[in-house]
Amino acid sequence: MSGRAPWIILPVVVAVYVGLLAPLVVVVGVSFGPSATFAFPPTGFTLRWFAEFFASDAYVRSFFRVSLIVGLLAGTIATLFGTAAAVGLVRFRFAGREAIETFFLAPLLVPEILLAAALYLLYARLAVQASIWTLLCGHLVICTPYVIRSVTAGLVGMDPRLEEAAMSLGATPVQAFFKVTLPLLRSSLLSGAIFAFIISFSDINLALFLSGPQSTNLPVHIFSQIQWQGDPTIAAASTLQILIIGLLILIVQRIFRLRMLV
Amino acid sequence: MASEPAAAFEVGRQVKPGRRVGAPPVWAVLIEPYALFLLFLLIVPLANVALFSIHRYSPTRIALPDLTFDNYRKIADPYYLRLFARTLKLGLITTVVCALLGYPLAYWLARARPRLQAFGLFLLIMPLMVSAVIRIFGWIVILGRKGLVNEVFAALGLEPVRLLYTDTAVVIGLVNVFLPFMALPLMAAIERIPPNLEEAAQNLGANWYQMFRRTILPLSLPGLISGSLLVYSISISAFVTPALMGNSRERMAAQQIYDEVLVSFNWPSASSLALTLMLLTLALMFLALYATRRAARLERGR
Repeated sequence: MSGRAPWIILPVVVAVYVGLLAPLVVVVGVSFGPSATFAFPPTGFTLRWFAEFFASDAYVRSFFRVSLIVGLLAGTIATLFGTAAAVGLVRFRFAGREAIETFFLAPLLVPEILLAAALYLLYARLAVQASIWTLLCGHLVICTPYVIRSVTAGLVGMDPRLEEAAMSLGATPVQAFFKVTLPLLRSSLLSGAIFAFIISFSDINLALFLSGPQSTNLPVHIFSQIQWQGDPTIAAASTLQILIIGLLILIVQRIFRLRMLV
Repeated sequence: MASEPAAAFEVGRQVKPGRRVGAPPVWAVLIEPYALFLLFLLIVPLANVALFSIHRYSPTRIALPDLTFDNYRKIADPYYLRLFARTLKLGLITTVVCALLGYPLAYWLARARPRLQAFGLFLLIMPLMVSAVIRIFGWIVILGRKGLVNEVFAALGLEPVRLLYTDTAVVIGLVNVFLPFMALPLMAAIERIPPNLEEAAQNLGANWYQMFRRTILPLSLPGLISGSLLVYSISISAFVTPALMGNSRERMAAQQIYDEVLVSFNWPSASSLALTLMLLTLALMFLALYATRRAARLERGR
């Protein structure tokens, strides 16, 4: 058939995917290789760099005490903020609703590095010390819009008559929400929460400005290790992040439409 | 369910069980926490930047609260003009490369069978979610002086090439990091074009390229526009990629802002730069938003 797409498309697509995935494959390869000079392909197999990762105070602190904690808190709080906001925006009609919706998604439009500088300068003017809390506040700004998006999508796709049926059977609006709406929103809520966690967990732009010496998150620590020519422990730390994020994205893809979130 | 503004006037009467007259409507209670949060952590910081940008720099006290436009006038200095020109140029190259690579990818994804499409999307979005610093680290290993590329060159008996710390490296990094932002809106736009339109064009005698130029390209234009504006505006504010892969003397705007905030503590100057870049980006972003909304409206009208 003459109408077939030209053969050239497939090689280009394959090449693009190779380019997209190559850096991740290389990082994972280096993290299991014995070479201290980042040789790829690896000439053997060792867990040495993972052992060094867990033996390093700075890495362990940035991973467990900062990135993981801030990510979990950001995921939880963003889900509360975002769900409330999405329900308010989708289920009610009031003047200025569209303007508020745009305002709520506005953090996605501000370049992260500029938002980070702006927050840093505000904290500086108010003499607020950098800590995991200043970092958390910054992350909540960029995480919550993702929850709003996923919960909005869930609410829009839901039949409002289900709630009405519950209420006509005697449930109060609050009962109807918690007993009917919320369980039906389960997968969009969970997806939003996971996405909020990922955004916080992999953020570097905000963290470069907002984390203090005791609250350096993993990406910032990796950044400074790259600048100081560290060893393949960088790769081991990166591999751990890649694994966690890959797993979480798989879960989101199972329960939700991934592309509605990005 | 609608809020009842009339209820507010019925003073002294219980309107609904559990809801007092004069109490704020439910929607306000729901959106208030995040609205207040954004007010204090988005609007106030930006206003603060605007305020800093009209302060005068002082080497000892960082910022003197006068009113001056010197920080903006300074952007016309050759140094800053060059900085912005470089930034905008690298952003443009990145956007064009992303569009050229993004189209085949988006077309393939849009027309792939559902399972294959889901797999393709996973492979596109998963790297996007991994921290940029990690992907850039991978490229450093690939492009470095003793990296993968140069090893291959050496094995072929070729001279090692200097790839890292050049503009080429920065563009490779930026394209790698931001390509999904081009491919996803493009794919959404192409998906909306019914496949039988392609067949119709071809039945009328167009070959594939003519068909592409006359149907796919014009109909996916909103996707291309919003993807391009998105990629352009995030690449001109990129920091991590040029900081790790670029030449330390030939920098991009975000690096200058970073240095002025955290290294030289010239907050007024940094603020004027940040605000200029932000307004530029926001203008582009709103254009992108407008393009997508318009496309969605056209879609609904069909």
